Amino acid sequence: MNKFSKRILNLLFVSILVISTVTACGSSNNASKDNSSNESNVSANDNKDKSYTDISATIRGNNAPTQEQIDEVNNTLNDTYLGDIFDEVIPNDYSAYPLKEKVTLDVWMPANVNIPDMNNHAVQKQVEKLTGIKVNFITPPIGQEADAFTLMISSGELPDIIIDPGRYPGGFEAGVNDGAYIDLTDLMEKNAPNYTAWRNSDETRRKTTITDDGKLLGFYGIAPYSEWTWFGMLIKQEALDKTGMEVPNTIDEWHAFLTKAKEVGYSEPLNYGSNYGQIFTGIINGAYGVWDWTFLDENGKVGWGPAQPKAKEYLALMQQWNKEGLLNRDWATADFNQRMASAISDKTAVMMDSPDTMWSYWKEQNNMDFVGALNPVLNAGDKSATTYKNFKRTGNSAAITTQSKNVEAAMAWLDFAYTKKGWEIYNYGEFGTVHLIDENGKPYYPSDSYMYKDPEGQPVAVTIDKYRRHVWANIRDEHNSNPLIVSEGSYSGDIREYWTENMDTSVAIPPITFTKEEASREAELGNQLSTLRGEYFAKIIKGELSVDAYDKFLKEAKSMGMDEFLSIHQAALDRYNSR
Amino acid sequence: MEIIRKNRKVDSIVKTGKPKNTKSILKKDFKKNWFAYLLAIPVVAWFLIFCYGPMWGVLIAFKDYKPLLGFAQSDWVGFKHFVDFFQGPYFWRVVKNTLLLNVWGIVFGFTAPIILALMLNEVRDGKFKKSIQTITYMPHFISLVVVAGIIHIFTADEGVVTQILQLITGKDYTSLLGYSSFFRPIYTFSGIWQSVGWSSIIYLAAMSSIDPALYEAAEIDGIGRVKKMWYITLPQIAPTIVILFIFAIGGLMASGHEKIILLYNPLTYDTADVIASYVYRRGLREASLSFSTAVGLFSAVINFALLWITNKIAKRTSEVSLW
Repeated sequence: MNKFSKRILNLLFVSILVISTVTACGSSNNASKDNSSNESNVSANDNKDKSYTDISATIRGNNAPTQEQIDEVNNTLNDTYLGDIFDEVIPNDYSAYPLKEKVTLDVWMPANVNIPDMNNHAVQKQVEKLTGIKVNFITPPIGQEADAFTLMISSGELPDIIIDPGRYPGGFEAGVNDGAYIDLTDLMEKNAPNYTAWRNSDETRRKTTITDDGKLLGFYGIAPYSEWTWFGMLIKQEALDKTGMEVPNTIDEWHAFLTKAKEVGYSEPLNYGSNYGQIFTGIINGAYGVWDWTFLDENGKVGWGPAQPKAKEYLALMQQWNKEGLLNRDWATADFNQRMASAISDKTAVMMDSPDTMWSYWKEQNNMDFVGALNPVLNAGDKSATTYKNFKRTGNSAAITTQSKNVEAAMAWLDFAYTKKGWEIYNYGEFGTVHLIDENGKPYYPSDSYMYKDPEGQPVAVTIDKYRRHVWANIRDEHNSNPLIVSEGSYSGDIREYWTENMDTSVAIPPITFTKEEASREAELGNQLSTLRGEYFAKIIKGELSVDAYDKFLKEAKSMGMDEFLSIHQAALDRYNSR
Repeated sequence: MEIIRKNRKVDSIVKTGKPKNTKSILKKDFKKNWFAYLLAIPVVAWFLIFCYGPMWGVLIAFKDYKPLLGFAQSDWVGFKHFVDFFQGPYFWRVVKNTLLLNVWGIVFGFTAPIILALMLNEVRDGKFKKSIQTITYMPHFISLVVVAGIIHIFTADEGVVTQILQLITGKDYTSLLGYSSFFRPIYTFSGIWQSVGWSSIIYLAAMSSIDPALYEAAEIDGIGRVKKMWYITLPQIAPTIVILFIFAIGGLMASGHEKIILLYNPLTYDTADVIASYVYRRGLREASLSFSTAVGLFSAVINFALLWITNKIAKRTSEVSLW
């Protein structure tokens, strides 16, 4: 259940809202453009001090740039070759760079296993060159981040910038209220023009980066689009071939398919869950409206999935499937390694997991092809739905501390990540060796990029961090710049895209925030309810309890304070909606 | 923490002829053994600085502690965190499970190393003895996560332990970690496997210091092996056993959450959910330093009470006690 609670947190705080579709090849046609992108003059240059010559003709589509061209791209603020490939134009106000005064900023951040020394990170050197701001990274030993953070806060000796400021007990906002971080509300417009322009370029971005009472706490990672959902039903291609059946859609079709799969030799066709809590992933229960946790009902009110009217139907179905031997026998107890061992064995035909994970275990290690199926629906013609939705808030966040000696410089340095140049460097690394620019002005990794052919022979799992910044407070362009997604032949991204485009996310709750009093009560009630839910549901599905035990569960949930729990969430949602 | 034997005091009085007050005894002792006192200073300082100094920090259980404001400026909230914990619907269950898991640990886990040490003590062949010792204390060095992985594999659907159980009972079991009635045995006996060799070392050390003359005298009297064990070895290591037993009782309300979290699941919450794991799950949603400190303090107070009672009983019934 431990991982499960984390997942719930993820469902709540990570987020989605598909307003438009940004196709992988960049140009978006079907989107309703808003006013901010009317100025889509490709070589628009807001740079107040200097104007650069337009070099788009020589850089775009150039597969073998000369050293001179490479230097021009890597060492100057000339961004004329970058196209506007998203619905909203990425800002490019470079008036603050390079900074006139000499500054060295201290930045605390959790270490990354793949980056032995942040201060010598490829991206860092380039950003330092372009912004003229020196940075000294403070990285605690891996695994000791929590202690190091607490010690740092308690000591009162704070650096200029803290990455992942949500580690503060009680969260980011508590950190501002207690005086650890600066409230940036009044400083943003002046000192972070790019971040301000970017977060205001779209209503979802604006709403998810401001607090209920209108404060701007810090710099949040903001995506140019809603990132794809990453979790769902995955079927082995060979199981489809052996059964000769289509990819199932309704619950009945699923039942037929799994039964047939069992007949053709998959002894435990559906890998249903594990001890780290994938029993409740909204994948099957969603068909009954019995979502894992909180969701938005048709009236826009917060509801609690396990208490929905069709819960008994869902539980009866799962109990039945378990009895028929359609689920893996160890669904309640398997750990990650055991799940993956069954995934690659002949027992399993279907996994409920991430296509990125299964790509590695199924395709790369065992050469098994697979396809993604939409979440099951109850009646043919219903639209698949999910409570997972990415509200364009991704990556990480950054705060400036009250001890910062140079707030302007700190803001300028962070703001660079929200410029066009910053988008290119942080996501795609340096020009020439790591990425090139295609005809539309979109960066891409050529096949001989360091990303895939590291001079030191490191695998992509390492180069993903080595030559770029995978998780940062920036404009995170995951879909186009994650080498695992865009690499030749990889289709895990396609599956995620297909899910995201074909599933209804109107039940998803946006990233709401609780007040301090609410948070502690919510944690308490949430823990009790999730313990209760986990226990009853698992026992009913296993057959230890009858489906009618659900009535008792509901009574207990109500006496525990289910209604109070919902009203806390409702209040937070109301505040979010009126932001 | 030294073992006080009642007759020691008597000795000193007999030797000097008249009882002296502590102060003068100390003075004399200090003059004689000043170097030993000097050597003790770093140890005493270490305890003061690192064990007694931070003890005031436990007061954050009664505050709404915020690290940045520091201890002094955080607001007092009285017993709020305690009340929150006591009023939770699962309070009695997690307390009961914590106690029972530790009772299992004392009944089986505490006796196992004593039995192992007694058996090893009877082995004459040095090589065999050494290799057995090495094999039994090896698991102590395996990380908990790996041990949990091993348990998962052994108790899986087709795991070794599961199959043996099926042979014995003739029933069809799925993974054993899915049955709440098996959780305590699995937890306890895997714990024994982990620690039995390591814990037996102290008893073996105690046995090695038994005067061989005792055994020789017994042999002349024609006593067998088993009786020697019963009448000589056990009484000689009894003080060690009692001391360690007092410690074990003092840990009745303690529980580490790591191993539990790696092994439990919603099907076994009935027996597996302990104070630490419950608090851990709450902390996943909102890290509250004060709340977890309050819970820790509650456990510590009960542990101390148990320790004190056990110590008192030990003092009355045997010559050995902690203080």
